[in-house]
Amino acid sequence: MRDRFPPLDWPLLIATVALIGIGLATVYSATYLPGAHQGLWAKQLLWFGVAVVFAWLVAAIHYRFYDSVSWPLYAGSLLLLVAVFVVGVERMGAKRWLEFGPLQFQPSEIAKIATTFVLARFLDHPRMDLRKLRWWLPPLLITAVPFVLVAKEPDLGTASSFPAMLIAMYFWAGMPLGQLLLGLSPIFNVALFFLTGSVWWFVGLFAALLAYARPRLVVLVAMIALNGAVAVALPNLWNHLHDYQKRRIETFLNPEQDPSGAGYQVIQSKIAIGSGGVVGKGYLKGSQKALAFLPMRHTDFIYSVVGEEWGLLGSLTVVLLYGIVVFRGFRLAAIARDGFASLTAVGITTALFFHIMVNMLMTIGWAPVTGVPLPFLSYGGTALIVNCIQIGLLQNVALRRREY
Amino acid sequence: MPQGPPQRDKDTRFGALAAIGLAGFFLVLLGLLRLQVLEHEQLKRLADQNRIRLDVLRAPRGVIRDRHGRVLADNQPSFDIVFRPAPIESTLRVRSVVASDWLAKVGGALDGDTVDIKRRVREANRTGQTAVLRRTAPYAVLAAVEESRHELPGIDVQVAPIRRYPEGTLAAQLLGYAAEINDRELAERTRKGYQLGDLIGKTGVERRYEDVLRGEDGAEFVVVNAMGQRVATLDDVPPQPPRPGLDVTLTLDLDVQLALEDAMANIERGAAVVLDPRDGSVLGMVSKPVFDPNEFSRGISFARWKELNSGGAYPLLNRAIQSAYPPGSTFKIVTMLAGLKQGLVTPETHFPVSCTGGYFYGGRRFGCWKKEGHGSLDLVQALQHSCDVYFYQLGLRLGLDPLEQTARGMGLGEKTGIDLPSESRGLVPTDAYYDQRFHRGRWPKGLLLNLGIGQGELLTTPLQLATMTALASNGGRPVRPHVVSGVQGVTTFRVEPPVEPGVATSKDHWEAIHLAMRRVVEAGTAGAVRLPGLPVAGKTGTAQNPHGDDHALFVCYAPADAPTLAMAVVAENSGHGGSVSAPISARVLKRLFLKDSTRTAPRLPAPADTVGD
Repeated sequence: MRDRFPPLDWPLLIATVALIGIGLATVYSATYLPGAHQGLWAKQLLWFGVAVVFAWLVAAIHYRFYDSVSWPLYAGSLLLLVAVFVVGVERMGAKRWLEFGPLQFQPSEIAKIATTFVLARFLDHPRMDLRKLRWWLPPLLITAVPFVLVAKEPDLGTASSFPAMLIAMYFWAGMPLGQLLLGLSPIFNVALFFLTGSVWWFVGLFAALLAYARPRLVVLVAMIALNGAVAVALPNLWNHLHDYQKRRIETFLNPEQDPSGAGYQVIQSKIAIGSGGVVGKGYLKGSQKALAFLPMRHTDFIYSVVGEEWGLLGSLTVVLLYGIVVFRGFRLAAIARDGFASLTAVGITTALFFHIMVNMLMTIGWAPVTGVPLPFLSYGGTALIVNCIQIGLLQNVALRRREY
Repeated sequence: MPQGPPQRDKDTRFGALAAIGLAGFFLVLLGLLRLQVLEHEQLKRLADQNRIRLDVLRAPRGVIRDRHGRVLADNQPSFDIVFRPAPIESTLRVRSVVASDWLAKVGGALDGDTVDIKRRVREANRTGQTAVLRRTAPYAVLAAVEESRHELPGIDVQVAPIRRYPEGTLAAQLLGYAAEINDRELAERTRKGYQLGDLIGKTGVERRYEDVLRGEDGAEFVVVNAMGQRVATLDDVPPQPPRPGLDVTLTLDLDVQLALEDAMANIERGAAVVLDPRDGSVLGMVSKPVFDPNEFSRGISFARWKELNSGGAYPLLNRAIQSAYPPGSTFKIVTMLAGLKQGLVTPETHFPVSCTGGYFYGGRRFGCWKKEGHGSLDLVQALQHSCDVYFYQLGLRLGLDPLEQTARGMGLGEKTGIDLPSESRGLVPTDAYYDQRFHRGRWPKGLLLNLGIGQGELLTTPLQLATMTALASNGGRPVRPHVVSGVQGVTTFRVEPPVEPGVATSKDHWEAIHLAMRRVVEAGTAGAVRLPGLPVAGKTGTAQNPHGDDHALFVCYAPADAPTLAMAVVAENSGHGGSVSAPISARVLKRLFLKDSTRTAPRLPAPADTVGD
């Protein structure tokens, strides 16, 4: 038995393939109308073939190799991110792509994986003590550099997956919860300010947090000072956002304010999903996507097409499949052979989970429109290859979990 | 496991991460339940509205023709640039923000005023109806819009019929014009099915016969994509074709109208009306200055609109029915008729005071237009030479009531009831009028002298003068002036009965009037109309104008023995009726009856001795 079947994580593999299958079918439906690029599903199928090869290669090479080359890989990916600014291809006001002949890809995706490796390598250390500055500061800096570079492209959606990964890996590496939450307090500060428009919500939360974490005096003073500074700097930061970013945040907070602009996409997406009802309108029968009311229906808003044509049953099936992927990802982290593998699994799963959440919540109107594709479903070669590489890495961990 | 946290701690932390994952997917589940179960009905309705749009198929207006079927107003296709609000926007009742870059792009492509475009787009978003941003767009603009369609959501090109007036300025005030409905009209007529961007008759026949000319817009349901472009028509509901407006036939005769317009060519301001005295149908009607109604079809700018409505010339005003002038000596026909009817005078009556160029009454001298005097005249001679002194005495003897009643009987002082909007009623003073102006019963008798010669408070429209002349020609039988003789397919169309009662009096009296008016032309003040081969009866008039030069008036009918035409000509600020207005009539009559095709208007030198008031 063990000889005939490699110890892959079968639920993870099956769920992934099922999601990609659903993605292909939905891309076909979303572009199933006169005048559209009807061949896209076939192209996506071709990409899937390429992605399988990549995933297989990535899974075949022992993860210790990635551990050993993580720093050069990280440095290379940062160089590519810088290259984007110099020779990148600009689309809709954002420079995110590098071009090699007919191939285009986003270096931010490579940076995401490389950063995971470096963080895993750094945090996987016998004398690791995240309560100490010399242990927790370097990971922050390691993450901050690609974060800033990607955010500058600008690609806020992908950029925010870096801190998400970092937080999960801190937590996984044993950072005390109080310390972690205290460190995140500036983010709560910003979020609560935008959601409530008042500083008092945060002040209350911050006080509770201090009581729970009981930091040393120097940390206490530093955190109070930091949060005070954030509160002061917030308006300035706001003024430094691009107009379209501001509009997206404003639209997210109040979508009905501008139905013809950015809010249009969200309203149309909600109409498409909602009009699907419980059982949906049937495959290829969605009227909203067919008449192009739904923008980016085969890329960022592909989940709306699933919702329209397959209804609640279809949408929940997709949610369930993603649930399996995320659950298996975290589970692999827990049963991994060593620290590097375990931390890598957490970082990769978190990045996937973060993208799934941002995209799905966007289509139902509960997250801002950030231009993040839905893993495995959205049309797009680079994204599919990268997502398959991520799965390949998780399978890498699975394959070697019983090694001694 | 030497490196990393111990297994127990790891399990706890796995639990925490799994819980966060579960919470995230649970959040998505809540969102899906809300949209696909709770709000499903509402969102499904929105989805249907999203893709189906009701397009209006505009009905062409009825064609307007002259009495011989020659076209005076019809339709032509116009390529309009329109804004169609997305149904979703009106459904959500959003106070739509018009994005400034969208507005700038549209303004640039349309080469139009962004303030105006913004206003129209707002209104369209409010009502959910299509707004016309630019009517009859030139090819360059159409091309620019087509090119950048994908950047201009909501913008569409639509073909709709607009009004065409092939004869341009001809009879412009009578025909009126049709233009885009304004906010006030729309508010009044929404219930009648009017919509934003509809054409509506604003003046003249276009306005008076709006209900028959308009027709009924059709509609079709079309399936549209997100850019508002139609993809297909909806199969389930067949389109409802528009019903064109009904054609209208005018009593107007293009030949008469052309003759009248050519004859009036040199007149800056004034009006002329030609009636058929037998039934009151209007054969021609001119008001100067003129305008081109086609300008309004194409969509007129606010600046041009202001230009048309200021400066005092008021080309949109139909002076033939809306301007009231003192009738001057043309009114002497009424005074004469009243005198005969009351039995105060016969055609041979001489008054004790003969004309010495003036008449003294109440310590004041009332002058005759002929300063050297006419001497002693009988009634017929007095009209022939338009002697003021004779008519002063006749007016005095008549008193107000008989004069007023005869004037009203002849169609003055009251609307003639012509089927055109905004007719003026003019003014014929009554006892009550003077009682109000002066103290009761204490108004000076001297007023009667002025009324007798057609001055004083009297005001008449050119149409009223033509009606009066028609009655003089047909023996006092009342007629109802009208411009429309029939509406296509309406068998019940009838001309309304006359408003005024006419004047019933002996045939001899009418013979006297006829004789006197013949003499005016043959040997009196209107020598310019003395045409070999055509007997004409007429009367000149010069209306004193306190604001400037006198208005020149002339009324006549022809052929005098069997009248088929009654005419009134008023030329503002241009001098004597005999020297200005009578020659205009002469040109018209020559062209119509004597087949003189002189289209240019030579100034006929009138014999000096016969030129007068």
